Amino acid sequence: MDKTDMEKTLENRDLMERFSFASRFGLPRTIIAGFVLLLFIMAPIVGADLTMQVGNVINRFSWNAVLVLAMVPMIHSGCSLNFGIPLGIIAGLLGGTLAIQLGATGPVSFFIAILLATPFALLLGGGYGWLLNRIKGGEMMIATYVGLASIAFMCMMWLLLPYTSPTMVWGLSGKGLRTTISLDGFYGGALANFLQIPIDPANGLYFPTGAILFFALLALGMWAFLHTKTGTAMTAVGSNPLFARASGINVDKMRLLSVIMSTWLGAVGILVYQQGFGFMQLYMAPNNMTLPTVAAILIGGAAVNKATIPHVIIGTILYQSVVTLTPTVMTAMIHMDVSEVVRIIISNGMIVYALTRKVKGGSR
Amino acid sequence: MKSRRLIFQLALLLILVAICAVMMVIGRGHTVYFDNKAVEYQGTTYEAPYKIEIHVGNNADGDALSKLYDNERASADQIGQKITVTLIITQEKGGDEQPPVTYTIPLPYGMDGPIINLPAYLAGLPEEAYLSEFIPVITEEPEETVVIDDGMGLGDF
Amino acid sequence: MKRKQTSKVSLKRLLQDNSVPIMFVLICLVCLPLAGYSPAYLLNELVTRMGRNTFLILALLIPIMAGMGLNFGMTLGAMAGEIALILVVDWQIWGIPGIILAMIISIPISILLGLFCGNLLNKAKGREMVTSYFISYFMNGVYQLVVLFLMGSIIPIMHSTLKLPRGYGIRNTVSLLSMRQQLDNLLAINVGGVKIPVLTFLIIAVLCLVIIWFRRTKLGQDMRAVAQDMNVARDAGINVDRTRIIAIVMSTVVAGFGMIIYLQNLGNFPTYSAHTQIGTFSIAALLVGGASVERASIGNAFLGVTLFHMMFILAPEAGTAITGDSMIGEYFRTFVSYGVITVALIMYESRKHRAKSQTGYLLALAQKEEEARAK
Repeated sequence: MDKTDMEKTLENRDLMERFSFASRFGLPRTIIAGFVLLLFIMAPIVGADLTMQVGNVINRFSWNAVLVLAMVPMIHSGCSLNFGIPLGIIAGLLGGTLAIQLGATGPVSFFIAILLATPFALLLGGGYGWLLNRIKGGEMMIATYVGLASIAFMCMMWLLLPYTSPTMVWGLSGKGLRTTISLDGFYGGALANFLQIPIDPANGLYFPTGAILFFALLALGMWAFLHTKTGTAMTAVGSNPLFARASGINVDKMRLLSVIMSTWLGAVGILVYQQGFGFMQLYMAPNNMTLPTVAAILIGGAAVNKATIPHVIIGTILYQSVVTLTPTVMTAMIHMDVSEVVRIIISNGMIVYALTRKVKGGSR
Repeated sequence: MKSRRLIFQLALLLILVAICAVMMVIGRGHTVYFDNKAVEYQGTTYEAPYKIEIHVGNNADGDALSKLYDNERASADQIGQKITVTLIITQEKGGDEQPPVTYTIPLPYGMDGPIINLPAYLAGLPEEAYLSEFIPVITEEPEETVVIDDGMGLGDF
Repeated sequence: MKRKQTSKVSLKRLLQDNSVPIMFVLICLVCLPLAGYSPAYLLNELVTRMGRNTFLILALLIPIMAGMGLNFGMTLGAMAGEIALILVVDWQIWGIPGIILAMIISIPISILLGLFCGNLLNKAKGREMVTSYFISYFMNGVYQLVVLFLMGSIIPIMHSTLKLPRGYGIRNTVSLLSMRQQLDNLLAINVGGVKIPVLTFLIIAVLCLVIIWFRRTKLGQDMRAVAQDMNVARDAGINVDRTRIIAIVMSTVVAGFGMIIYLQNLGNFPTYSAHTQIGTFSIAALLVGGASVERASIGNAFLGVTLFHMMFILAPEAGTAITGDSMIGEYFRTFVSYGVITVALIMYESRKHRAKSQTGYLLALAQKEEEARAK
């Protein structure tokens, strides 16, 4: 900050908030950004292949970005962080498993899966939104436990539902879905292989053009939606519900809509994740998606009541950089594989930081 | 009022530290090994008796911990700084059992597994003669994979 | 005023207020014949589990009294207890002295963690529960850092039976063989094949008495005042933030003791996952006993631990009997644990929401009246 800036800040405290990097970006976020920068600088020094690392970050970004995007509508309408994303994921898993069960193959099955997931997402999202409207102010805790309870419930369902496709059920008993299902021949790589650009073909590294385009499309759609009349109304509900109600907006309807959107995006998000990852993971696996998703958008600069598309993009890149780079770089630096611990501390620390911050605007 | 409170808190702290210290002394666990084996000390050889019957405690009632013949070893878990054993010794094969005698052997704090050589101890030799430490054999083992995942709450409570 | 109105339908109200315990009794009654356990086995299991877990569950009462809701941060105390146990095992202090030593060592760690948690929760008034939930996950990361990387490299650990072969970090399982059930076996009596750990129950009884006594002290009264209304309490000269921190610290310390009692019964523990679900299960058990987010009694804790564990014992067998798959029952009891917490949280929040809109409605009514009078 140079001297003229300093003088301005003395004149106007508001301006300081706007100009000061740390206060706008947040201290933990600055630390994480610095940490990622350090990782990228150290990577070539410790002998890691930087091209490969960057390629991995891009690929992981393409897997996760849509899931992170699913946070945006609910934060906009003041429903806080969507710890209930497992509901959307479950809708997506139902869509994916049904698509395979019905015999869909190849990249088309990806879109069939989305199509099949949609009614579930609408139904679950609708119920979830109805519930959240009854408990305004306590969304986050209940969302967390709704997510956990529904995962546990689906664990029973995966065993009991009458799936028969031999690629999905246990070979021996012929019933009950496997914990991990390979998506080769189905929608594995459905988006990523579309128009892919080789980066390092020897190591199987490609630029996943299709997946990035798909995310861009959804992000653009979200951006456009937030600028429609309904979208601005939703933002108004989030930033000041009393004012929104006074100006004739149906607060409950807006919140319900946002929850359904979030849930549907969660369903699509997990399908995108699976097509990149190449496997479908059932049972307890959805639980492992919540934390990275919430942490990513917070790292990107979102708050409990404020999130934008840039937050999604920056957050996902920063978070996935941490996940991709720490194992190689940190292990080479200190000869201990602390990556998992670093990931846990960063993601949960970020959430605790967001929760303990004074929230402006009065909505919580 | 405030200083009384401070004194009270300090006293509580002291009591807790004192309890800690006491627990560390009385709770120190040892695995005590008894050897019945000939030993050579300062040029003299102390022969092992034919049989030693060991009872933990100060009388020979109940089951024996072990009956040690020549070149045998027994072990007992003991909490505290000393172990009391009652020994019934048979010097020679076919000979009569001697009347039970009770000994209290101090255990060094720093040793997890003290070995007590009974012939040397019974001969009244100093500690360095009858006491040695059991060092477990270090085996090469494969690296353990650390499981951090909590399985989302599957499992018992 | 409100109570008078509802006295006519008191039976209905009674059923409504105790819907969760009643539901659980029904679940247990359905599962009981399906599981096919003998009464002696069932009773033995139940008594063991009551002795093992009640202390942990009682740790939740004080923060509820202070209006901070269900303390998911009790996991912090559990971690403190585990760290203390690891150290005591390494120092080879056995038996009851080892347990007492571990408890005393856990106190400073618990206090430190409790202060950390309490201070953060003061910055998140109104959403203590979700914050404490994530603080416990955050601290889990720190715990792993300490136990997996610092123990053996910076914190001295002598015994290779405890350390990973690589030379630092603690193994997946810590054996507590030297203290296993020492507390339970001392003074234990056997009634018709059922082992009753008298000493453990005595310790629990002492804690209950302490809680009852504590409610009547100045600090206990302050906590209740803070729970009623923070602003009123502040005006009355109570240091609200300090009172809340004390509540969390006390809960953490008790949870640490509880974890040590819990683990000495089990005889070994998985180093990296023993504590993660303690909060969830304890909270579920308390809620099953008919407690709510704002009110919980010692009776709730005892009823809850009985019913919850009855379900825990019966569900896997009953699930296998119905579906032929042993996993179903395990998933079922996990689902029920989470489900109970979800339902209790929803009831709490919707009641709060309703009360809020009711006051709003009354205010609007009063305003209208005033306007009419002014005309």
